[in-house]
Amino acid sequence: MTSQDTVFTKNFAAAGLAVLLATTIAGSAIATETPKVGGTLTYLEQQPHTVLYPPAGGFYPNGGILNQITDKLTYQNPETLAIEPWIAESWEINADHTQFTFKIRPGVTFSDGTPLDAAAVAANFDAFGKGKGERKFPVSEVVNNYERSEVIDPLTVRFHFKKPSAGFLQGTSVIGSGLVSLSTLNRNFDELGDATLVIGSGPFVATKQVTGKELTLKARTDYNWAPKLLAHQGRPYLDEIRYVIVPEDGVRIGALLSGQADFVRQIQAYDEPQVTARGYQIYAPSTRGINNSVVFRPDNALVADKAVRQALLHATDTQEIVKTLFSDSYPVAKSIIASTALGFKDISAKLTHDPKKAAELLDQAGWKLDADGLRRKDGKLLELTAYESPPQPQNKATLQLISQQWGKVGVKFNVLAGDAGSRVQDSLDPQKTPVAPAMVGRADPDVIKSQYHYANRNVLLQTGGVSTKVESFRDETLNGLLEGIAAEVDPAKRLKLVEEVQNYVIDQAYAIPIFEEPQAFGGAPYLKGIRFEAVGRPSFYSAWLDR
Amino acid sequence: MHAQLVSRIGQSILVLWAAFTLSFVLLQALPGDAVLIRFLGGDLGLSPEQIAELRVLYGADAPIWEQYIVSLSGFLTGNFGYSVISGTPVATEILTNLPPTLWLAGLSLAAAALLAITIALTANLTGFAPLKAALENLPSLMISVPVFWLGIVMIQMFSFQLGWVSVINPGPWEQLALPVIAIAVPIAAPLAQILLRNIEAVSRQPFVQVARAKGAAPAHVLVRHILGNALLPSLTIAGLLFGELIAGAVITETVFGLNGIGRLAERSVRFQDTAVLQAIVVISAFAFLLINLAVDLLYPLVDPRLRRDDVKGATA
Amino acid sequence: MSTAPAIPVRRIPALSGKRPPVSVILTTIILGTALAWSLAPDLFSSYSGTVGLPGNQLKSPSALHWLGTDELGRDLLARIIHGARYSLSGAFVAVAVGLIAGSAIGLVAGAAGGRTDTWLMRLVDVLLSVPTLLLSLAIIMILGFGHVQAALAVGVTAIASFARLMRSEVLTLWRTDYVEAAFGSGATFLKVLVRHVLPNALTSVLALAALQFGAAILQISTLGFLGYGAPPPTPEWGLLIAEGRNYMMIAWWLTLFPGLAVILVVMAANHLGHTLERRKA
Repeated sequence: MTSQDTVFTKNFAAAGLAVLLATTIAGSAIATETPKVGGTLTYLEQQPHTVLYPPAGGFYPNGGILNQITDKLTYQNPETLAIEPWIAESWEINADHTQFTFKIRPGVTFSDGTPLDAAAVAANFDAFGKGKGERKFPVSEVVNNYERSEVIDPLTVRFHFKKPSAGFLQGTSVIGSGLVSLSTLNRNFDELGDATLVIGSGPFVATKQVTGKELTLKARTDYNWAPKLLAHQGRPYLDEIRYVIVPEDGVRIGALLSGQADFVRQIQAYDEPQVTARGYQIYAPSTRGINNSVVFRPDNALVADKAVRQALLHATDTQEIVKTLFSDSYPVAKSIIASTALGFKDISAKLTHDPKKAAELLDQAGWKLDADGLRRKDGKLLELTAYESPPQPQNKATLQLISQQWGKVGVKFNVLAGDAGSRVQDSLDPQKTPVAPAMVGRADPDVIKSQYHYANRNVLLQTGGVSTKVESFRDETLNGLLEGIAAEVDPAKRLKLVEEVQNYVIDQAYAIPIFEEPQAFGGAPYLKGIRFEAVGRPSFYSAWLDR
Repeated sequence: MHAQLVSRIGQSILVLWAAFTLSFVLLQALPGDAVLIRFLGGDLGLSPEQIAELRVLYGADAPIWEQYIVSLSGFLTGNFGYSVISGTPVATEILTNLPPTLWLAGLSLAAAALLAITIALTANLTGFAPLKAALENLPSLMISVPVFWLGIVMIQMFSFQLGWVSVINPGPWEQLALPVIAIAVPIAAPLAQILLRNIEAVSRQPFVQVARAKGAAPAHVLVRHILGNALLPSLTIAGLLFGELIAGAVITETVFGLNGIGRLAERSVRFQDTAVLQAIVVISAFAFLLINLAVDLLYPLVDPRLRRDDVKGATA
Repeated sequence: MSTAPAIPVRRIPALSGKRPPVSVILTTIILGTALAWSLAPDLFSSYSGTVGLPGNQLKSPSALHWLGTDELGRDLLARIIHGARYSLSGAFVAVAVGLIAGSAIGLVAGAAGGRTDTWLMRLVDVLLSVPTLLLSLAIIMILGFGHVQAALAVGVTAIASFARLMRSEVLTLWRTDYVEAAFGSGATFLKVLVRHVLPNALTSVLALAALQFGAAILQISTLGFLGYGAPPPTPEWGLLIAEGRNYMMIAWWLTLFPGLAVILVVMAANHLGHTLERRKA
C-alpha cells in the first residue's frame, strides 16, 4: 500500500492502518533499562537451515539466520507496516510503477570489507529478479516482471520493470531480498548451505558451522547502519549467537525451562502454560499472511460441487479446534487472511459452525447417509484425503480433529503422513488429495495472489500451474481479481480488491480458514529486546541478556 | 590361505558394488526426487518454467542408466557430489559427521562390553541365588527396551529434572554420556547372554577342572581361565552388533540432537538426498565387510578349541 | 561367513520338571493378554481407541482413565489395548516374510551347495551389509507409509538371519547318517527335505522366529517413532510413544505406559525364544 509514495513519509495514512497500529507485537518490550553489552545467546531451532540464498528465506530456519546476517534496502516497520529507509536512504517511483530509483546509504560495507554500493545492489536484484541459470539461482517470489537494473552513480540504482509492479517496494524489505556481497552471488547455489560463505552487511556474521547441528554468529562491532528510525544504533548488544538444531519439541522446551537455552522457536500451544507459569515469556508474533487453512481442489469431482465444500465449511468447528489444541496466541480465523494483514475484512459471519446446515447441503447435493453413518451418491463414498503438513503447528492433530468433525456429518476424511517425495507429488494431484492444509506469511496483499494464483503456489490446483495432473479446473474470476491485486497501483483500489477476493474465496468455499498462525517462541526471563520483523522472524540486533 | 584371502576380498568388492547398486535402485524407485522436494516443497514459490529449468540443471530427468554411470564413476574417482538439501559437498558432510558417530559407536560398544562382563561375572561369582537369577534374566529385559524410549526418559530425568547433564551446551564427554548408555543397554544384552552361556560351557572343560583341582580361587579361575575363552564366540556377532550400533546412532542422534552419520542418514532418506545416502551406504557396507572379513580371518587363529587343546596337552 | 562353535548347553531342569517356573507363567500371561487385546479389544475397554472427547485432553491417570488421556482426550489404556492388534500383527507379518523368504533361500543354498550356495549367500551378505534400519527406511519410502508396509520392510531385513540359520541346519543334517540312509532307500530330494530336514530344523527356526518377533515389535515401533510407521490415528505402540514424547514435560504417562507395554511383550517373546532354543540344545 505504500508503493505509490515517492518518499516514504508522504501520503501514508491509508485506510485500514488504524487497525494495524493498534496491534502491537507481544514482547517487543521497549527498553527502559540500559542494555548490557556482551554475552552469548543460545537459540534452539527446530530444523536445520537449507541453502541460504536470500530468496529461499521464506523457510523459517533460513529466515531466522538471514535476518541477522543481511540487511535490506528498506525496512518494514513491524508495527505500522510502513516502508522505512534502511540501506536505501530514499527512493522514487514513477507513476506507472515500472521504475524504482534508490539512493544508497554511504559507508555500508559487507563483512568481507567490500562496499555495499549501487553496483552491489544492482547485482543482487539482477540475480533475484532474473535468476542465474549458470549458478542454479532461482527467481525470487517477491520480484515480479523484472527487466533490468541501471547503475546511475555509485550510490544510485534504478530498476526497470516490464509491467507495473506495485508490490516491489515492500518486496525490497523482506528477508528474501537480503543483500549479499558479489563474492556470494558468484558462488553456486549448492555451496550456499554453508552460512559462512553468505557474506552480508548485517549486524552478525556467521563464523562457524557444523552442518545440521550448530551455527555460530559473531557480532560486527563496526556495524553502524541500522534502520534510521530504530532507537538502537551502532553495534548489536550481544557478542555471539549460538544456533543449535534440536528437532525434538520436548527437548527444546525442556532445555529452555531447565536453563540450558535462552530462546526457542516453535513452542507448542500445550507447552505455553508451563512456560509462563515459570516466569518465562511466550512471543507469538503474527505472520500476517494467509491464515492456517484447509483448501479444496475442485478439480476432484468429490469437491467440485460448491454445496459440498460449503457443507464441509459449516461442518468444521474452528472454535473447538482452537480451544482443544491451541491457545490465545492462535486467534480463530475471521477471514482467509490474518486480522493483522493488509486489507483484512471480518467475514466471520460466513464462517459459522452449523452441522445441521452442513447435513442439509449434503442431502440436497445428493450425498445421502447410509446405514454405516457415511454418505454416498450413486454408490460412491464421500471420502477425502489430505497429507499433514509437518511445518505447521500441530497440523496432524488439527486434521485429525477436523476428521472427527466431518465424520459427524458422514464424511470420511483420511489424514496421511507420507514421505516428502510422495507428499510433494500427491499434493499436486487433485485426485489423490482433494483437500490440503495451507498457510503462508508475508505482509503484503501480494501474498493472496502468491497463494491462490495458478502461476504461483496454486493451492487450489488450477490448470496452467506446477501440476500436470489437473484436468480442467480453472477459475478466471478469481485469477482476474488476483492479477488485479498484483497490478493495481492505487492503494485504495488495491485494498478493495483484497476485500473482494476474501469474500469470493469464502463464497465459493475454496478454503476453510482455521486460525491466525503466529510464530511461537519462548524466551528466558532475563532476555530483553527481542524484535520481530513483519512476518514473525526474530531479529537479535537489539537483544541483550540481563544477567 | 592366500588364494582364499584374495577370493574373499574379491567377493567383498562385489558385495560392495551390489550394495551401491541396490541402494541406487531403491532410491530411484522412490516417488519424487530431492530436486522436486527441495524446490517444489520448499518455500520458494517457483513457477513451473523455473522448476523445469532447475531440473535440467540438476540432471534430474536424465535417463536412469546415465545417472547411474555418473554416480558410480563419481564414487570411483572420489567425487561424491553435493547434497541437494543442505547445499554442502557430500565429502564435507561425511567428514564432519563421521568422527562423532565413531566416538559414539566406539564408546557404546566398550560400555556394552563392560556391562555384559559385569553382569556375567557377578552372576557367576555371587552365592546369592535370587541375585544370580535376576542377573541371568536381566539381558532379556535390556534387549526389550526401545532405544528411543530410553533416550527420551533419560533426558527428561537426568537433564531436565535432576540437571546432571546438559544436552544443549555439554562438554565433549557429557554430551556422550546419555546416548552411550541408551545404545549400550540393548547391545550389552546379546553379549551378556553369550557370556553367561559360554562361561557355563567353558567351566566344564577339563583344563578348568584342572585349575580348580589345583586349588585356584573361583574368581581367579573365572577371570584367568574362563573369561577369555567365553568372550571369543561373541566375535561372531560383531556384524550383527554393527547394524545395531548404526540403528542406535540414527535414533540417539535424533533424540539427543547430536550431529553424526545416523542423523545425516535419516535426513537423506527423508528428503531423498541420493548423493549423501549413497555415500553412507557404501561406507557402512565397507565397514561391515571389513569387520566380517577380519573376524573370519582371525577366528581360526584364536579359536578357543585350539587353545584348549594346547592347555590339555600341557597339563596332561 | 563364520558360525559360532556349537557349545552344548545342559538341559534346563525346570523344563523337564513338573511345575513350570514363574517366568514361564508370566510369559504366558503377557503374551496371552496381548493376544486377547488384539483379537477383541472392545472386551477390555469401553473407550474408543481413535475418537476422543474434546475438553478431556491431557488428564493424568485417574479412576476414570487408568492411564490418563492424550492431547485429543482419548483414553490411553484404550489406545494401548486397540494398538496391540497393530503391533502384534505387524510383527507377525514381518516374521512371516523373513521366515518364508529366508528359509527358502537357506534351504536351497544349503541343499544345492556349490556355486548356487556361494551366490545366494553373497546376496544375503548384500542384505546384511546395508544397515537394517536404513534398508527398512528405504523400503518403506518405496512401498509408502503404512502399517503393513512397515511390517514388510522389517520383514525384509529379517530374511538374512533366517537364511543363514536354515542353511547351517541343512548343512548339519545333510551329512547325518539317517538322511544318507533315507537317500539310500531311494527317497527323492523333496521327500528327504520335507520328511527329515524340515522337522529337525523346526525348533531352531521357531526359536529364531520368537526372538525375531520381539525384535520386529521394537523395529516397527522405531519406524513409528521416526515417523515412518502407521499413519495417525492408528494407536500402534511405537506411534503412541512417538506422539506422546512431545508432551513429556506435561504428560509423562503418554510416553511411559506405551513404552512399558512394548518392553513387557518383547521380553515375553524373547523369553519364549530362549526357552525354545535351550530345549533344542
